[in-house]
Amino acid sequence: MNWWCSAQNQRWDWTWTPYLGVWLIAGLLIIAYVSGRVWGKRRGLYCSGRQLASYVGGVAVFWIAADWPLAAIGASYLLSVHTLQYVLFVFAVPPLMIWGMPPWMLRRLLASKPLASLARMFSRPLVALVTFNGILLVSHVPRVVDGLTVTQAGSFAVNMAWVFSGFVFWWQILAPLPEWKPMHYGGRLLFLLANLLVTTIPASFLIFSEYPIYSLYELAPPFGGLSTIQDQRIAAMIMKILGGLIIVGIGAVLFFRWNRKDGVEGDLVDSAGGKPVRT
Amino acid sequence: MTTGPTREMAKVLTAGLFGLTSVLVSCGSGGARRPGDLRGVELPVALDKVDFVLQDTEGKGFDFRSETEGYLTLLFFGYTNCPDVCPVHMAGIASVLRNMESSVASRVKVVMVTVDPDRDTPRRLREWLDNFDTSFIGLRGDLSHVREIMNALNMAPPAVDSSQGTNYLVGHPSQVIVYTTDNRAHLVYPHGTRQRDWAHDIPMLVDATWDS
Repeated sequence: MNWWCSAQNQRWDWTWTPYLGVWLIAGLLIIAYVSGRVWGKRRGLYCSGRQLASYVGGVAVFWIAADWPLAAIGASYLLSVHTLQYVLFVFAVPPLMIWGMPPWMLRRLLASKPLASLARMFSRPLVALVTFNGILLVSHVPRVVDGLTVTQAGSFAVNMAWVFSGFVFWWQILAPLPEWKPMHYGGRLLFLLANLLVTTIPASFLIFSEYPIYSLYELAPPFGGLSTIQDQRIAAMIMKILGGLIIVGIGAVLFFRWNRKDGVEGDLVDSAGGKPVRT
Repeated sequence: MTTGPTREMAKVLTAGLFGLTSVLVSCGSGGARRPGDLRGVELPVALDKVDFVLQDTEGKGFDFRSETEGYLTLLFFGYTNCPDVCPVHMAGIASVLRNMESSVASRVKVVMVTVDPDRDTPRRLREWLDNFDTSFIGLRGDLSHVREIMNALNMAPPAVDSSQGTNYLVGHPSQVIVYTTDNRAHLVYPHGTRQRDWAHDIPMLVDATWDS
């Protein structure tokens, strides 16, 4: 049994191939959460059913993205599936897991000083911006994709880097710990805007390139009746349209929350001054 | 502390900037003819064009030497059930020729000789090649005859892996032999040749002149 999925230069077949590392990590994530719940329950701290569902959903998406068949197709045959994995690892797994953890659990998780200081460093907006986009750009450089995807260690490193960049990104947006002084809504919207711009770079290369960018997918055995260029353009659309829609969607949610928050604050101010203008 | 109107203004500006960027982002967006400049693998000794007649997919005799005279000719030995090398080569070459100026592409002939004539009927061969390019030429003949041709080109003969019943694989050379208009092959292109390599070399090769 392999630790992680890497590129295999052979014809696709539908033989089920589990990956030990994926099952181990998914299992550990669930055990850690259950242990956290038990620890909290003894102290009168609880997780809601919605939080539990969200966390388990995040782990399930991680498992789907990293295990057979999605990972096997993405590593060896289709760039579009590789990009779908990126979207799942970055835009689905981290927010579901962060939503799933109540603040007391996150505080407990970040109780150790070295971990907390590391987390604080990556929670700085500029560091987060550079980390998220740096990982995005570097992990899509042809030499990196062609070189790392062929080994289990390389493939594992890239997938973990994606998940990490997702947590760094979503921490800014979801701001789960108020005492960590999260960015103001306006700042968060600008943060999203900057990320929207950077994702355009790899997507543009994929869309406008006349020839396949990655030798791994160009020279792979055919899969799904797609030409390499069609597959590459679908990958670009997944990154740009799906990724872009998610970012724009989050932007809209943040904007309305900002608006609602200001509305509530405005009502309070006006009530205190004895001149309520909103009814 | 920001005032109410300033806050409203900031919100409107941020929303406007965000929306505008989203829209912009979603919309945005001769050389030498010496062998040394080419990306194929140069043969130590150029091969003369082989002289053979095989059956094409219409069932007619195809005289390889005379039919390809004056064309840049890409000769490949493969089979339609091939899981990897053959479709990758054919798809790559077809894609490059599609993107090429017709003045260049029209001077190129792609010929595939099947090493699996039992399963590659003329119809099957034609249908398979049409997936890539309808101008590709498919040839078939007795396996013994195909072996002789390959032998003349110093190529290893096809090897059938009969352990898999009717769903067998056939071992075959993975390189494409390229004959220039002097009726000689100076270069071969192994499996792993990328589309950008073909796109780089083909325009040079159609006009190539070689020192004898």
